[in-house]
Amino acid sequence: MRDSYEVVIIGGGIIGSAIGFNLLKMGVKDICVIEKSYVSSGSTGRCAGGIRQQWSSPMNVRLAMRSVELFKNFEKDVGMDIEYKQGGYLLLAYTPEEEEDFVKNVEMQRSQGLDVEILSKSQIKSKFGFMNLEGVRIGSWCQSDGHANPQIANIAYSMAIKRMGGDFITHTKVESIDIANKKIVGVQTDRGYIRTNTVVNAAGFESSKIGKMVNVDIPVYGERHQILVTEPVNHFLDPLVINFNHNYYIRQTKHGSLLMGQGDANPMPGEDLGNSIEFLEEMSQKMVRDFPLLRNVHIVRQWSGAYDMSPDAQPIIDESKDLSKFIYATGFSGHGFMLAPAVGESVAEMIVHGKTITMDISNLRMDRFKNHIEIEKNVV
Amino acid sequence: MEGRILEHPILNFQRKARVKIFFEGREIEAYEGESVAAALHAAGIRVLRYTPIDGRPAGFFCAVGKCSACLMEIDGIPNVRSCMTKVRDGMQIRRQNKNGDLL
Repeated sequence: MRDSYEVVIIGGGIIGSAIGFNLLKMGVKDICVIEKSYVSSGSTGRCAGGIRQQWSSPMNVRLAMRSVELFKNFEKDVGMDIEYKQGGYLLLAYTPEEEEDFVKNVEMQRSQGLDVEILSKSQIKSKFGFMNLEGVRIGSWCQSDGHANPQIANIAYSMAIKRMGGDFITHTKVESIDIANKKIVGVQTDRGYIRTNTVVNAAGFESSKIGKMVNVDIPVYGERHQILVTEPVNHFLDPLVINFNHNYYIRQTKHGSLLMGQGDANPMPGEDLGNSIEFLEEMSQKMVRDFPLLRNVHIVRQWSGAYDMSPDAQPIIDESKDLSKFIYATGFSGHGFMLAPAVGESVAEMIVHGKTITMDISNLRMDRFKNHIEIEKNVV
Repeated sequence: MEGRILEHPILNFQRKARVKIFFEGREIEAYEGESVAAALHAAGIRVLRYTPIDGRPAGFFCAVGKCSACLMEIDGIPNVRSCMTKVRDGMQIRRQNKNGDLL
């Protein structure tokens, strides 16, 4: 750790790391990422690793599609195999309202150039005969969606950052941010003071705390979600399956284990990352009902992670109006990993050029909360 | 080769009733109270599964249900610890290829 950097990124999860990597790629060498614990110790290392483009607003679809382009080249660009597989995403509709939403979304997504289609129940049955589709009306299917290993991706970025000449500082906490004449002048950490004029707040569910240090209100809070992993079985499940109605997602890792998770019925906002026996009971019951072939598969362990929830379940990516060069990329609400490559690129462009070049992400600015809040429904 | 201990210096035990179990469709000698892995071992069967990544043969290792070396497909269910599962009359046992097939 040096005593001054051009850019200091707070948070070494997938978002902070992706931003750091892209800054280096654009020639900004004098940067550091500060991570309070070890690489991937936060929400990134706890997430299931789904990579989805089926969103309900055109801008989010385009951003996710850009992310997929970058995931395809991840191994070459960043230098590590992250177990990326385009096995598709299957979304299941159970109610007339869901069906209507799916049809509307697919039409919009196709207009953005996404390879998405509506599947009838019998089409789903012939593709995935092992699923119990009782009550299913239709599905929404996108082959180019997929999944990857978030921990490896996070580590890949952190190693690339070091290789390219940046610093990635772990086990270091930010204590305060120094301001003089409405400009950032430095960051105080528990391991020393860093002079800088540019700070990126990528602290996930703790980004509101970083905001408080400079009196910038960031309406993001932590929401516990639980997840479990089973023993490995031979590969049978290509896609990640999302069931909003039964409140779960499931995917099979390259290793063969199955990851499945849900939003808690009683989410506990905040930092409690404990886990419960009720989750195991609910999850195992509904998974055995919808995937009867899982009935004899053993659960290996369970854990939880915090979604960094924003008021509309969409990311907040912006530069503060009140404090120059205080940039935040937070509030990913459970879909940060899948957007990270594109967000890293856009935020790096904001820092280098003063605005995004590749993508228009103006829909993710903070000022949208002044008006009517349209909540993204497609989240588990 | 007899794979069972017939006389033990300090332990005394009665062999229990004979049960019929099948390994890859072939009948194997087994006695009530024995584990599947023990009965297979006694019958000279040393390869219980093929390993997940390289597909190499794996046999009896820890024998106390911790190491995964003896996972087998028993009565159609994969990933059953054959060292911790007692034989039962009519049991169908198969070598497991890698992590076991659900389909």
